[in-house]
This record gives sequence, structure tokens and C-alpha cells, in this order.
Amino acid sequence: MVYFSLMRLYEFEAVELFRREGIIAPSYAIASSPAEAKEKAREVGLPAILKAQVLTGGRYLAGGVQTADSLEEVEEITRRILGTTIGGMAVPCVMVVHKIAAERQFYLGITLNAYQGIPVAILSTEGGVSVNTVVREHPEWMASRNIPITSGLSLYEAKQMAHEIGLSGRDVVNIAEELAKLYRVFRRNDAVVAEINPLVRTPEGEYLALDAKVEIDDSSLYRHPELNVDMTKHFFNPLEQKGREIGVTYVELDGDIALIASGAGLGLASIDIIGQKLRPANFLETGGGINEDLLYKVMGLVLQKKGIRAIFINVYGGINPIHEGAKGIVRYMQEHNVTIPVVAKALGNRQEETWEILRRQGVVVVTDVSTEKAVDVLASMLEGEK
Amino acid sequence: MSILVDRQTRVLVQGITGRVGRIQTRFMLDYGTNVVGGVSPGKGGEIVEGVPVFNTVDEAVAQRGAEASVFFIPPPAVKEAAIQTIKAGIKLIVVVTEHIPVHDVMGIREYAQDTNTWLIGPTSPGVITPGEAKIGILPGNMFKPGRIGIISRSGTLSYEISVNLATANLGQSTVVGIGADPVVLTNIPELLELFEKDPETDLVVIVGEVGGSQEQHAAEFIDRWMTKPVVAYIAGHNAPEGKRMGHAGAIIEDGSGTRESKAAALHQVGVKVARYPAEVVKLVEESLRSR
Repeated sequence: MVYFSLMRLYEFEAVELFRREGIIAPSYAIASSPAEAKEKAREVGLPAILKAQVLTGGRYLAGGVQTADSLEEVEEITRRILGTTIGGMAVPCVMVVHKIAAERQFYLGITLNAYQGIPVAILSTEGGVSVNTVVREHPEWMASRNIPITSGLSLYEAKQMAHEIGLSGRDVVNIAEELAKLYRVFRRNDAVVAEINPLVRTPEGEYLALDAKVEIDDSSLYRHPELNVDMTKHFFNPLEQKGREIGVTYVELDGDIALIASGAGLGLASIDIIGQKLRPANFLETGGGINEDLLYKVMGLVLQKKGIRAIFINVYGGINPIHEGAKGIVRYMQEHNVTIPVVAKALGNRQEETWEILRRQGVVVVTDVSTEKAVDVLASMLEGEK
Repeated sequence: MSILVDRQTRVLVQGITGRVGRIQTRFMLDYGTNVVGGVSPGKGGEIVEGVPVFNTVDEAVAQRGAEASVFFIPPPAVKEAAIQTIKAGIKLIVVVTEHIPVHDVMGIREYAQDTNTWLIGPTSPGVITPGEAKIGILPGNMFKPGRIGIISRSGTLSYEISVNLATANLGQSTVVGIGADPVVLTNIPELLELFEKDPETDLVVIVGEVGGSQEQHAAEFIDRWMTKPVVAYIAGHNAPEGKRMGHAGAIIEDGSGTRESKAAALHQVGVKVARYPAEVVKLVEESLRSR
């Protein structure tokens, strides 16, 4: 089943992975209430930086990272941060860290060159919020390298990259070493992104990671029990979470036509076509292993959203013949007395039998091979409803 | 032959004793695929669906002359199996397996670079030359022999487009599902090159989707090398940003990877881009007429 996704870690989780490879981050505390933040700020020392812990980018611009000079301010800012949402996600806790003086900032990142299928290391003299724009305007401030996965990133190459962006003196060796450590974080944890933005040099000559971003390929989690990841914490929409539990991909959209599709591409095409005339309530794709039990559960899932006007089913038999799924649809409709219109296009092995099973339950079966035609049928049915 | 596979191709099924491997071996045989053997460690000597099972791919190559292989094996075993299979001299490997760690896929890619083995997938529905043979899980009755090549990032959407073309009497030379992971073992341009050289293909259809940059690279290739007409459909113009739409690779991030950016890149090099899947039929007919 295709419900593969990439799992972003919280900053504090990523910091722990950094520490295992010897990347130094300032000591921090986690607080999930204003009072707790005040308590922790007393321990780490003022001025303190309060950072929203969220699984999305853009928290600086959303006001999720702020400096507090007094304990009162710590409480007040924490209350504000915990009360906001960033990128649609609630903020469960804040990280409390002592403010670090920085002499110089750097950007270090390892990610995928997906098209070429190879890791790429990126180094820039411009750490901070606007790293993307700065680098676009001044490509000479950035160096990047494809890293063969069997040999990895050598210190020699990392030093070359440091020279390329104009570093000198102690910065060359130190930044190269940090980049090599970051590559190890990437490789050892099956990451698809490992990023430090910014890494700073303090007036005392220390090199510290002031932020930590790691995304793990969740197809690899079976071989990382040590990550001890509670997957349920990493998905925020309850229906999306539920979809994951039953082994399908559910993405909530803002319309009222429920969709059940087998295959991601067909699901995408279906929301394209539905969107011409109607508004899809969700994207849902079952993967290839359709059976009775799965479609029974999927019917329940798409109907959990309020105000669904109709269900559109668009499936191809793959690994299993398609009539098994039809039985699950029908059983759900009987047990839950589903009365809204259900339109289905189902092709593949034993399709005639499938159509018969669905029709007996009052499902409108479209035997035309095009999804456009099937959506037309649905649209004209709803037209007549008004 | 068209590309990659024909009725003579001697096919091996790795993972033949598993539930899916067994069923799909039956379907492939029924379609006419020349399945010559299976591999399942420790189960050598068994017979599945009339096909002899071997312990290792080397034995299967030595005794049955296998040339192509399809993987129905669990994700943790794929990387090593792929390397062994390349070493054994197999020329085409179709990886149906889903959820292979992306670092393993990159490892396979790097190993395969200097060999002359074609690897399709992972998460591939397979490859079919209609009327001759299929390797993978594509349902045979959605396809029809003809002269259109199809390269698709999605399985079921390639069935939808093929069956629509077939209904309009437009058959296919070969249909290849490249798989929908962020890193795939063969990219679209490499297959465009095969279709461009194939005397049995008149036109190529690209079935793309949001996320990644496959279609943009395809556009560059088409601009420089393709003389045959190309038609495309890119799914996902209603896809929200920042959500993975079922396929790991299908995500719009930082405003890139949108349907619009891909369609524009293709349009600019003369590719006719359909807004909806059934429109592909009309655009294919137009392109063939004006040739």
C-alpha cells in the first residue's frame, strides 16, 4: 500500500541526533506551559530564546521564535506562542534556550538530488531566515556537491567546499568537520534532509548549531528502533492519522464530494476532474491491495467528515480482483444506511460481477472507461437534487 | 520488439513463492509472458504455477537463460537482491516492491550506473508490450497492441489512459510505469530515448504528476533529441501545497513541482499537454493526423 511519507522530527528530537554525531547544540529545556517555561528559563539563564516546536517550516515569520529578557516576558511570550497555530498546526511545546552571541553564521545542509538519485551537500556563508534568496542572488556564497552514497563525504572535499565560499583560518577545518558530521547524521538515520540553519561561531570560538532540522524516510523506520519514534505524534489531522492506521493515504480538502481512488495518480486525476464542476472533500488513495475489509473501513473514513453530499469511487483491480472491494462498500452501506448518492467506476478482473454487486445496493455504476464521464453522471445527479 | 520486453523475453520472478508473486506469475503466464523460472531462497526445486523455482538468481540464469526479472520481494531484501541480479547478468529488472528505503534506492542506482542493466521502479506497476508480454502487475485487459509508447509515473493512471486510448482504437507499443518514489531507478528521458529509436513507436505519451522534476527534465530532452510527437498529462492541478498525495514523490514544496510549471515546460518544447486524462485521446489523434 502506498502511504509512504517522509517524517519530519521536532527540533529537540533532531538535536539529539546531532549530539550523537558530536555536533554541539546549546543546552535546552522543553516547556509545555508558560509557568513551566518560566521555571526552565531560570535554569538556562536570561536572555532566553523561546522556540515553537512544530513540524513545519516558516516559524520565524509566524512569530514562533522570540527573545525574552525577563521571566515575566518568558511567561507572556510562551502563552502567545502556545496559543497560535503555525502552518495550520498547533504548537505543543516550546524549546527554551539561553541566547547565544554569534560572530558569524553559516548554513549547512544535506539533502537529496532526487532526479539524479544522489545525496547533495550544501554549504553557505549566509545562515539565517533568508538563505534561499541570498543564495539565489549570490551563488558565489554557496557551494554544493553530489556525494556518492557508497563513499560518503570526505573531509578533504568538505574543506574544498569551505574554501570555495571564501572561508579561511580555523573556519575551514571546523566548518568542514561539522559538515562531515551532518552527513553522518543524514546517512546513519536514513534522512532525506539534515540541515543546520544557522550554525554559528561564538566570540569564544565555539561552533554551535542553533537550529536542527531532520526529515527521516519513514520506509526506513523498520531498521531504526533506536529512533523510538511515536508516529502518531507526527501527523496532526485526525482523519489523515486514521487513514494511516488503516493503510491508505487520506488528505482533507475543503469540498463535499468524498473520493475513494485506487492509486495516487488516479486519485490526483479524479480531484482534477471533480474540481471542474464540484468540490472534492478529500483525496484518498487505497494502494493496490484492495479487499473487502479495506473498502469497508475506507467508506467509514471518508464519511467521518461532516456534510458529505456524495461519494465518488474510482478503482482498478490490481493485486486482487475488484469484486472483493465491492462487497466491502455494499456491507458498509447496508450496516450504516447510507442514502447519499454513490457513483462508482470500477475496472479490472471480474468487473461485471463487481458492477452487479454494487447495483443491487443502489450504487450508480458507470461502465464508461473515462473518469470524466463518470463525474458527469455524478454532477447531473446532484444537479437534479436541487 | 517494441522496447524492453517482447514475447521471447525470458522472465524470472523473484519472490515467486509469496502470495503476490504466485498470483502475478499466473497472470503473467496467462497473458503470454515467457516466465522461465522463479527464485526463492531455500525453496529451490519447488514448482509454482508450472514454473521451476531456484535458490539463487545465478542458478536460474545458468539453467534457464533468464534475461529479465521482476521483484515481488520484501523491501529490506531488495538492495542486495538487485546487486546480485545485476551481477548475474540480467538485463532488465522491474521492481514492483513498495516502501524501499530511499538510501537503498540510491545505493542500487549508484551500483547500476556502470552496468548495462535497465532497472524500472521501485513501486512500479511494471512494463507491458500489449499482445506480447507483461512484466509486473498491470491488468492486461486495459491495453491493446499499437504504436503509442507510454511512460507513466502512476500505475492506475496509466491504465486509465491506456484503456481510453484503446477504446478509441489507439493501441500501445510498450507501456512503462517508472514508479512514484522520489528517487527512481530509470528517469523519463532515458525511456524517451528508447521510444525515439524504436521503429514500432510513432508517438509517446508522458503521464506525469505533481512533485519532483521528471517532467522538466523530459522537456529538456524532448527539445534536444525527440523527433516523434509527444503528448502529456500531468495530474494534480487541484493538489494542495505541502501535502504528499499518496506517492512519496507527489508533493508541491516551496511553490515548485506544480502541475502548471511542468505543463509550461513541456508546452514550450512543443508537447501537447492535456488538462484532463480523456483529452489525451484527442491530442494524440490530432498529433498523428498532422504528422
